[in-house]
Amino acid sequence: MPLKLLLQLSTRNILRHKRRNGLLLAAIIVAVGAVTVSNSLIRGMQYDMADAAVSNLTGHVKILAEGYRDDPNIDKNFVLAENWQPDVAAEELVGWAARVRVPAVIMSERGTRGIQFVGIDPDQEDISFIGQAAYDGERLTDGSDGRVVIGRALAEQLETTVGRRLVIITQGADGLNREAGFRIAGLYDTDGTSLEKIFVFTGVNTLQKMVGADVFTELSIRLVREPFLFQFKTSMIEFFTGLEVLDWRELEPQAAAMFVFADAAIFIWFFIMMGALIFGLVNTLITSVMERVRELGMLRAVGMRPKSVIVQVVLESSILMFIGVACGLIAGWLFILWLGEGIDLSRFAEGMDAFGMRTTMRPIPLAGDMLLVAGLSLLFGVLASLYPAWRVVKIKPLEALRR
Amino acid sequence: MAEIAATASKRDVGRGRGLVAAIAWRSLWRNRRRTWLTAGGIAFGVSLVVFSMAFQAGSYGDMIYNATSFLTGQVQIQRADYIELSRFEQTIGDATETLRRVEQQAGVLSATARVEAFALVSVDERSFGAQVLGVDVERERQVVNFFDRLSRGRVMAGPDETVIGSGLARNLNADLGDEIVVLGSAKRGGVAAMVLDIVGIFDSGISELDRSLLFVPIAAVQNEFGLGDEVHTIVVRTQVDDSRAVVEALGHQLPEGLSVRNWDEVLPEIRQGIDVDRLGGMFMYAIVLMIITFSIVNTFTMTVFERLREFSMLKAVGMRPGKIVLMVQIEALLLWAIGVGIAMGLMVPLLAWLQSSGIYLGEAIVELAKQYYITDRIYPALGPASLLAAPAVMLAATQIAAFASSLRIYWLRAAAGVRAAE
Repeated sequence: MPLKLLLQLSTRNILRHKRRNGLLLAAIIVAVGAVTVSNSLIRGMQYDMADAAVSNLTGHVKILAEGYRDDPNIDKNFVLAENWQPDVAAEELVGWAARVRVPAVIMSERGTRGIQFVGIDPDQEDISFIGQAAYDGERLTDGSDGRVVIGRALAEQLETTVGRRLVIITQGADGLNREAGFRIAGLYDTDGTSLEKIFVFTGVNTLQKMVGADVFTELSIRLVREPFLFQFKTSMIEFFTGLEVLDWRELEPQAAAMFVFADAAIFIWFFIMMGALIFGLVNTLITSVMERVRELGMLRAVGMRPKSVIVQVVLESSILMFIGVACGLIAGWLFILWLGEGIDLSRFAEGMDAFGMRTTMRPIPLAGDMLLVAGLSLLFGVLASLYPAWRVVKIKPLEALRR
Repeated sequence: MAEIAATASKRDVGRGRGLVAAIAWRSLWRNRRRTWLTAGGIAFGVSLVVFSMAFQAGSYGDMIYNATSFLTGQVQIQRADYIELSRFEQTIGDATETLRRVEQQAGVLSATARVEAFALVSVDERSFGAQVLGVDVERERQVVNFFDRLSRGRVMAGPDETVIGSGLARNLNADLGDEIVVLGSAKRGGVAAMVLDIVGIFDSGISELDRSLLFVPIAAVQNEFGLGDEVHTIVVRTQVDDSRAVVEALGHQLPEGLSVRNWDEVLPEIRQGIDVDRLGGMFMYAIVLMIITFSIVNTFTMTVFERLREFSMLKAVGMRPGKIVLMVQIEALLLWAIGVGIAMGLMVPLLAWLQSSGIYLGEAIVELAKQYYITDRIYPALGPASLLAAPAVMLAATQIAAFASSLRIYWLRAAAGVRAAE
């Protein structure tokens, strides 16, 4: 039997019961739409967490002196030569940032806190949160800027503000404590408060002078795209012999675990939705073939092959699934457009901060995810139609005619 | 049909409702496969929601208990302005008396007082900023379980001893038995200095604490930092479920200017994390139950459609449309009962078993879970909310689905229906 004819039969059978098949379509659309929306939100969360982890002064790859991670101290440093940058395809890199980062104590006239004191070259820091943050007052101008910028939350704790002075104590390269006064150039503002309370920034040359050594403690590199990471890391390990070369997954294991978990979550969502859907789908298909037992029996009596019957039922299911998936993807996509910039979760700010997430849940629809959902759904549709098809083929034509 | 009515009427003479229920039950089994598939859908949806809600409730309970029993306690009392500014001089005066009053409050299991000072701590040439917590170890042990889990050494026994975080020890390059110098500013501006022996090292798994905290006997800190009978925080242990009531009661009892906070204000990230998670769960449950509801509506649309002729007949012989609709509603109720019965039959024993054995989370998630105070196993909680929510929603959904599909029975014209379906 030609496929075209079977296709026509299937289509007409679907149209015979508009209400029933309409309801089934609605269920498919809700399921596929919900999976599309949830996928995009999970992706958004995943990318935001990875982005936050990478922006958290980490970079995709970070180079540290051996032992710095166990004992973050100015002793664990390295020297960078004049033209130290290795050859890397420029289009793969967002940028490099060489920093000095030491633990320190900060004092205002009203309070004292323990902090991480970081010397930066502000021109290099568009790769990290400090280059992207909002400011009150001014930013640091260059690597020899002798002022500091501190987080808004820390400023509140210390009861200080832009233009006031702070004293910072840290250990010098010779092991003795150094104490210096700094004026606050500006206050930076990030999504949560955990970074604001920890990091205080000044010019990298200023901090090098303070600790008394022309050295760095870390080098962060941000890449344009994640897939380049492995290759890049390998070449850095060769280039920076004697130093530790780590990627963000090693430095931020929690964020990395969440990243993997999000991949799994996408499949979990899909199978739950399809699990809920399959009962209705099989039910509707069975009813639809059982109603036509006589009709199908007749067709078989006049010579239609069992195979054609099966193809017809499978087609019926596939057509429904196809329309449902197409509409579901569109519905999900429209919903994502409606969400726009994302769902505002700022009333859960501290909870999101603790989880390393941003306060806006931003949907990121990926074509690959949509294709995966579409493909798996169609496969599901075929699988769901096999039982009803087998059921109706099992009935002998004569028996069917007698019903 | 006539047969059904005949057998049913023998039993139920004069009892219309019994008859309608009997017909409904039999109608349900006229199409076994459909009934099983629909009930299966209900069972799937209900099982999924009951199972996940039980684990959500269980992990939230564990999370709250572990987070609060760790170091913060269930209730904290501080001077109101200390919460915002955490300045050293913002103390609770009359600490002994306040603590005594707190302990007498019903619902309070135990309580302890702490002083908190910021200081520069040094071992040899190395110095770091750290938070000094002055504590009464004996009392602390009644309130939190922090001191039961030192990774090395022992708790403080004398005024010159200290327990420090593993990160701080590493940064200071210090070990058990080393001397540590603590320098801070006393309440009236003088220098507070202490020389202490490191007798214990803790490894809490929360790097911020391990990096920045050391414990010293409270009396020694009060003495050196120029505090009298003053403390910064009173930490209270209650049952998690009682904490809010205790906060209320203490709030009325204690003097003005003191602020009594429940754990969810002290650790807002825990409460918010739970809320976000719950929101995500709700979204999923709503969608799953909605898809199942569509399939139920579909089932009833098909059932009613196939039996239009039968219904017309019933109408023709004088059955009230209301009664026919009632019959369909009872079918829906029975269908619901079968679905929920299957779900509960599977889930209740399963969850009861998991309540004792728990589910191991796997290595990858354990690291993650630790930060959220979840241990490596999660256990379900079998509360009425998690057990009854999904069945209740499904009950409403089946009834509405049946009603929406059977409405057309009202418009059905008796004779026309018989003819149309022929």
